Amino acid sequence: MVVIGIVGAGEWGTSLADVVARRGKPALLWSDSAEIAKEINEKHTNERHLPGVALAPPVRATADLGELAAAAQLLLLAVRSPRVEATVRALGDVVSGRHVVVHAIGSQTHAGRVSELVRRETPVKRVGVVAGPALAKDLRAGRPCAIVAASPFEGVTALVRQAVEATPILRVYRSSDLTGVELASALTGAYTVAFGLADGIGLGTGPRAVLLCRALAEAARLGVASGGRERTFSGLAGLGNLVVRASSEDSDDYQLGFKLGKGETPARRETEGTRAAQALVPQARALGVRAPILEGLTAVVEGGVAVRDAVTRLMESHAEEE
Amino acid sequence: MAFVRPVHEAENRLARFNGEKAAILAEVERRVVEDNLHRARRGGEASLEYVLNDVAFQEIRRLERSARSSADKKRLGEWRDLARRLGGMTTEEKRRHLERLVEEYAGDVCGNFRPGVYRFATRVLPAVLGGILSPRSLTDGSFGDPSGKIVVDGPLDELREAADRGTLVVVPTHLSNMDSVVLGWSLYIAGLPPCTYGAGKNLFSNPFVSFFMHNLGAYRVDRRIGHALYKDVLKTYSQVLLERGYHQLFFPGGTRSRPGSVEKKVKLGLLSTALAAFQTNIAEAKPHGRIYIVPATINYAITLEAETLIADFLAEEGKHRYIIEDDEFSRLGRIADFSRRVLAMESSLVIRYGAPLDPLGNRVDPEGESIDPRGHRVDPATYVTGPDGKVEHDPQRDAEYTRALGEELVRAYRRLTVFMPTHMVARAIWERLAAAAGTRDPFRLLRAGEGEAPVDGVREDVARARAALVARGDAGVLAERYQTMRPGDVVDEALVMFRGYHTRPVVERVGERLIARDLRLLFYYQNRTAHIGTGVWS
Repeated sequence: MVVIGIVGAGEWGTSLADVVARRGKPALLWSDSAEIAKEINEKHTNERHLPGVALAPPVRATADLGELAAAAQLLLLAVRSPRVEATVRALGDVVSGRHVVVHAIGSQTHAGRVSELVRRETPVKRVGVVAGPALAKDLRAGRPCAIVAASPFEGVTALVRQAVEATPILRVYRSSDLTGVELASALTGAYTVAFGLADGIGLGTGPRAVLLCRALAEAARLGVASGGRERTFSGLAGLGNLVVRASSEDSDDYQLGFKLGKGETPARRETEGTRAAQALVPQARALGVRAPILEGLTAVVEGGVAVRDAVTRLMESHAEEE
Repeated sequence: MAFVRPVHEAENRLARFNGEKAAILAEVERRVVEDNLHRARRGGEASLEYVLNDVAFQEIRRLERSARSSADKKRLGEWRDLARRLGGMTTEEKRRHLERLVEEYAGDVCGNFRPGVYRFATRVLPAVLGGILSPRSLTDGSFGDPSGKIVVDGPLDELREAADRGTLVVVPTHLSNMDSVVLGWSLYIAGLPPCTYGAGKNLFSNPFVSFFMHNLGAYRVDRRIGHALYKDVLKTYSQVLLERGYHQLFFPGGTRSRPGSVEKKVKLGLLSTALAAFQTNIAEAKPHGRIYIVPATINYAITLEAETLIADFLAEEGKHRYIIEDDEFSRLGRIADFSRRVLAMESSLVIRYGAPLDPLGNRVDPEGESIDPRGHRVDPATYVTGPDGKVEHDPQRDAEYTRALGEELVRAYRRLTVFMPTHMVARAIWERLAAAAGTRDPFRLLRAGEGEAPVDGVREDVARARAALVARGDAGVLAERYQTMRPGDVVDEALVMFRGYHTRPVVERVGERLIARDLRLLFYYQNRTAHIGTGVWS
């Protein structure tokens, strides 16, 4: 049976481990906190990230990455985006060519996509991504969720499916479009900030729908120019993710946008979405791709442009054939 | 003329080839037939009827276009007969036809190695050519003549050791039909072992070259045959040779670069046999089972067939003329002229070998061990084996690994490219012509017939680009001889090279202007720098 090693015992990683373990599939979590690992193993709880939730007993944890790598060929990277680079570097010391690394990071590093980081910092070649509208709270509540697993290696997506598919709660679709799914997922975070902004200034449902459609079109343009497939952006990682995140008012991305829209000046402006936007704006420029939403969004977040002015600019820009 | 060669010389494994030839052919035939019979059980497109029909269909189509001799016409009739009878054949009859065809194709592909010819080629021929090539003694890992006419460089010690530890697959860039001759010579000069290699069957039309190819381990690749069965035979032949430790050479670009640019992508068919052979070697626990992919670039100041190749690229028919049989290479006089004029120039040819890669695309350290992007050692077997150490067969995975290896090779080619003054000056002039015309469309630029640029401006452009390339490090560099030369002298060298060989001078100096007399050739030579982008020129 395929053991899944989940790198990161945060809310999503722990919820996934719980769902998988309840279907009788082995899941081993890694936390950089020995205390959390001990708590999971001894009390079957993770109070810091999943307060009040009793985990299925088969969920095990370790604070030793080497132990994780020895136990699992399939490693699912599920740490928060600011910690991705350090964690991947640490993984590089314990993995070999036999490992498969799949990530669930909905952001982009300044050095590129997370899969590129994995290939650069580890010997692993078989990489993949999972993305889609599967929220931790839905997983825990046993609501039907779906994600897409993407990799150019068919064996990787098959392995993910084997390890984490937990029907009827979690269904796993397959794709070979690694670039597209990674970009769609990262861009969704950025556009979630834009939805927060739109709601903050009270634009209403019509303009919200316009934003949704134009954001998808922009994402697809950038994705195709980067080597992804257009169809991916109307799938689970693109449209599916965007719909669910745009409605998640408690997310950091949405909250930042909402506060900015309300005219507040939040001190902390770094979220997964803003990191993705800041990394992808230069990429769009380098590829010659028009990305007015991303450009406007970063201008607002960086404080260079007022929200209303950014909206006016967007509406005054040339409307092309849809 | 005596050559100074490295003390340590890799073993010539080809010396045992003739003794193993029958066993190699039998193994190739057995595997191809068994694989096809195994796949045929799935039915549909894998069925024997489909496979044989595809062979017959493609052979009929090929011969209908090209059959001239009575033998060809007779063969065409036989293929038509086979196609007609296929539907009524029993499984046993189809199997026998499959065996016969595989035997025929394998026999056609299979090479030869005659030690006597090799001795002649390596001892006598270089001495004869020495007057022209005048190699210099080994200094700091590079070879050539004292004035630097021909240079062979790269991590040659490392490659010789790799040749002892495992099997080399040398994969150079491809500009000219001179490449196989030049590369074979460079292997000898560098103390690297001779390689068997897949040469286009059209090359065998030159009697001089054909003689050496036939007898130095070349196997014949007929690129006019496109059906799967022939490709199966070729790939299996290549794989069996690698498994038996025969170093191999092939041009992964597939054909000579028509526009003159460095390969942007490579063909993966033969390349994939390296990983396949490596897996067999793991399964059989062979002690020297490592396979090393060795990128190399062959860099000419002037290309023998430049005029034909660029014409072919530009012509609409270029899309169809995959194999050119009537170019400069088919004319011995033209080759002699090329050798006399071009090889007499300074640093006119640089063969640069790169550090080896493993079949997964990982770099290899000087001890022959694979290393990851951070420089940490990694066991290449772990990419294809399970926890029990046994090879796990996964063709889709292997195709993806080979694709990644191909991308790594393309990056290596760029890094290893050595530009000549001809390339730099052509690009500088071309950029100025494009800026003046307000277009980068080559066809619009070529319509002008001639073009000109100021000498001063071109000198500045060359100096700036030369420095930028050194700073970049990933896109190639100007040949060493020209690194510290005054930019004006680099331009002058280019002018000498440009008037040395082609029907008319590519570029001439008139006062303070450089006049491009042949824009098509200017386009061809500047294309070598196409991967650099416009930034360093403007």
